[in-house]
Amino acid sequence: MKMDDILLMAYVDGELTPHEREEVEKAIRTSADVAERVALLEASVLPYRRAFQQQALPPVPESLTRKIAELAHAYAYATPAAASPVGGNHRAAAPESQPDPLAGPSLPVRSRLRTAAPWLAVAFVAGAFCCGVVLRFAPGAAQGGFAQSAAQVAAQNNTHDGAQGGASPWVMAAVSYQRLYTRDTVALDSSNMAAAAHVVDNIRHDDGLPIRVPDLRSAGLTFKRIQRLRYNNKPLVQIVYLPEKGLPVALCVMKDEKADSALAQQQVDSMDVVTWRRAKLSYALIATPGDTDLGALGKRISESNVEELIGQLSKAERAFAS
Amino acid sequence: MTAADLSAMLPPLRPRLWAFALRISGDQHDAEDLVQRACVRALERAHQLQPGTAPLSWMFSIVQSTWINELRARSVRGRSGMDWDDDFLETVADPAARTPEQNVMDGQIVKAVQRLPEAQRVVMLLVGVEGLSYKEAAEALGVPIGTIMSRLSRARQAIGALFSDLKEERVNSAAISKDQGA
Repeated sequence: MKMDDILLMAYVDGELTPHEREEVEKAIRTSADVAERVALLEASVLPYRRAFQQQALPPVPESLTRKIAELAHAYAYATPAAASPVGGNHRAAAPESQPDPLAGPSLPVRSRLRTAAPWLAVAFVAGAFCCGVVLRFAPGAAQGGFAQSAAQVAAQNNTHDGAQGGASPWVMAAVSYQRLYTRDTVALDSSNMAAAAHVVDNIRHDDGLPIRVPDLRSAGLTFKRIQRLRYNNKPLVQIVYLPEKGLPVALCVMKDEKADSALAQQQVDSMDVVTWRRAKLSYALIATPGDTDLGALGKRISESNVEELIGQLSKAERAFAS
Repeated sequence: MTAADLSAMLPPLRPRLWAFALRISGDQHDAEDLVQRACVRALERAHQLQPGTAPLSWMFSIVQSTWINELRARSVRGRSGMDWDDDFLETVADPAARTPEQNVMDGQIVKAVQRLPEAQRVVMLLVGVEGLSYKEAAEALGVPIGTIMSRLSRARQAIGALFSDLKEERVNSAAISKDQGA
């Protein structure tokens, strides 16, 4: 019998049949190597769980508890139907293996990652389809429902959408959602323009939002994804860009019947936000402080001083397809 | 499973995910980032969680793979895999219920596990500390069950060697002090 490590471990742990035990005991008597390995395994029978229970770990940080609560709240309303790909199944069938810029030299790590990387990549793509996530986790929105929205409308009216610290509830919800983004959330998104164009079409036709996706490459921002979200049962569009450095930047759009308003910059929940209203659409440009000149960028977008990214590609795709 | 189902499970799992992330990363900031990213990923693909798989094992697997990716990114960026914070190797002495020898031993066990090679350490944490079965650990790490058992056996032999040496040292030092006392 070959005395492999697994067998010897099972012997020490008393998991062998009497016959197998005899075989191992015979090997122990005749082989110093086997006897040595069994001795080591016997010495390894230790109270691991008790030892680790005594480990002085720091408590769960409050910030993490809060983030998980926000996440749980955000997804508590997600339903399988809502989470289905709005952008069409062709995006879900994204390439199985993404180009892997991070291949490392360490063997054990690589062998694990060869299996992990493709499904992680798929996970990121799937993330682009969490379109049904209902944004209801604005601060103070503990229980949801009509009372909440009434309170939020009141809060909104009191502050007149002003830059005095009062952001619209939908902007606060969008900011909370954006705070959960890391570079990894969108880094592996393949920026599938055909699928994005399809989403844009759906938003224009089904949601009735005449949105345009600005081309922000001149500002160092690469388009990554467009998602249809909902806030208080109304469509909310989130367009995500990845800067060369730093965290993703989002342009969020909702329908708004109020009159046009000028650009206002403020901090919401530790994020920089630039808001404006134009042609019955309310915009919020959201980024972490310091990464991007948000004011200048907001000004360019609001003045339509940037090319339209998806519109053109969408037409090109359609021309190509026809 | 739906994201809504999973979202209800995440808050109760939080302490164990935090402890696991701390133990594999050895750094509070890394651990926080790790748990947060793992939660986002898990919710985004909750539909992939099969009915037979324990959500905790599945979450461990996501924390682990997220960490492996991070290590890999760091090695590409030319940074060391991790700067271990030795504070986490300390154990709290509980003089009321335990002997000083037990406290010392607990500290030695934690150190021995934390200093194992990465692949063996994770298996020891999942099986020896978190109490996952071999099968659950294999699912969590996406490797065959035989790989789990052979890593565990090698890890235990390394720890056994350490504890045999420690025992020998204790015997020797006891003998020396006895000699000196005589």
